[in-house]
Amino acid sequence: MKKFFGNRKVLTILLIILAVLCMLSVSVRMRNNRKSPLFVQRLGNDTMAIVSQVVDWPIRLVSGGADSVSQLVEAENENDHLKQEITNLAQTKARNSALEAENQQLKSALKLKDTLTNYDIVDASVISRSPDTWSDLLIINRGSRSGIKKNMPVMSGEGVIGRIIEVDATSSKVELITSTDKSANRFSVEADSTKGKKVHGIITVLSKNQLAFTQVVDSSKLKKGTKVYTSGMGGNSPKGLLIGSVTKTTRDSFGLSDVIQVKPAGNLNDPSVVSVIKRKGEE
Amino acid sequence: MATLRKWYVGIALFFAMILDGSLALAFQKIFYHPTWGTACWFTVVGICLIALFDDLNKNNIWLILAIGVLADGYYFGYFGIYTVAFPLLYYILQKLTRFLPETFWFRLIVCLLSYLFVSVYVFFIYAIIGTQQIGIKSLLLSIFPSWVVCAIIFFITYAFWQNLIGKYPFLENQKNYL
Repeated sequence: MKKFFGNRKVLTILLIILAVLCMLSVSVRMRNNRKSPLFVQRLGNDTMAIVSQVVDWPIRLVSGGADSVSQLVEAENENDHLKQEITNLAQTKARNSALEAENQQLKSALKLKDTLTNYDIVDASVISRSPDTWSDLLIINRGSRSGIKKNMPVMSGEGVIGRIIEVDATSSKVELITSTDKSANRFSVEADSTKGKKVHGIITVLSKNQLAFTQVVDSSKLKKGTKVYTSGMGGNSPKGLLIGSVTKTTRDSFGLSDVIQVKPAGNLNDPSVVSVIKRKGEE
Repeated sequence: MATLRKWYVGIALFFAMILDGSLALAFQKIFYHPTWGTACWFTVVGICLIALFDDLNKNNIWLILAIGVLADGYYFGYFGIYTVAFPLLYYILQKLTRFLPETFWFRLIVCLLSYLFVSVYVFFIYAIIGTQQIGIKSLLLSIFPSWVVCAIIFFITYAFWQNLIGKYPFLENQKNYL
């Protein structure tokens, strides 16, 4: 032991490793617990976000052009599909507005101000992505100035793709729903069972791009294809945001409980424009 | 203008770091897959080449530390990944440079090994702090695609870094180099 502590090089390396581990644990804790980062970090992040948008502009121009060409090839099929959808749209629209008006009347009759389904949307562009192999972090060009707060859900495509984990003045970080981060918050969700009852649970991650609906009381009644929505119970997300659809139900490794696999509905592969969901009644 | 010239390497490294994130986003369909992924690090290649071309400059390590801090804050929101990996990589390469052959192809091999070093470091840090759960299989599957990207970045940026570091070494009085 004396020899070990007598060797200055080994001791220095040991101290450096300890310092690195301390720095990591303290800063991860700060990121998870603080509402916003320290002023110096916010300043750095915002400056980098501005530069990033400038650098992004020509890249977007080139990649956008390439995307447009590939989209042109699919345009005809898409057009046929959309024509079919349009025929149903007018009827759905009329029905929706009637239901909305009825909903408003019922809410005012019950003197309800804000319910779990009330929310506003802030549209944002993704300006950067963590460049390492495994990180599930996106950086968007909207921050606290646009009213964004930590833990707000983020949607792209048809469903939820993640939540805000850090907010700066003009940018924010989004952690994808498929993140395997142990400390990440989970979405509380619900789905309609075959008997018409609501089944509640939370979303966990099985593997990359594979979600699971867990802590379910009566899981066997969820059919394949059943849509899973946020329940609004977690306090951060409004009710009714689409998470995905049930693909299959299996037993866990101990054979004790069911694991309901969920295919994410959001565009996780190529999110370039996202919507941040601001739940009403919190401000 | 003369003062600014001393900072050219720093500015280039800063833009390389921004470019990493922008290109990772632009090519996310190609780079990210459920079982494997590809790292896009202009910064790592830049740091390798700075260490190989300008190993006697003592100012570089502080620049690289600052870039690491900025990258950690911007891309992760916590510190200890690039803040440590970048200066450590530079320090090791700086010590080894005098023993390494000064050929183009050998420098490519050094860059590929450096890419692997940073990948393995990130992998271990994730395993320790638990912000990502990654299997060894995913790490192994990611090595080859990452090397392909590293080689492409190396071929694109080699001449740029060689000229920049040769003409404008970071915070050094250029008269000393004449």
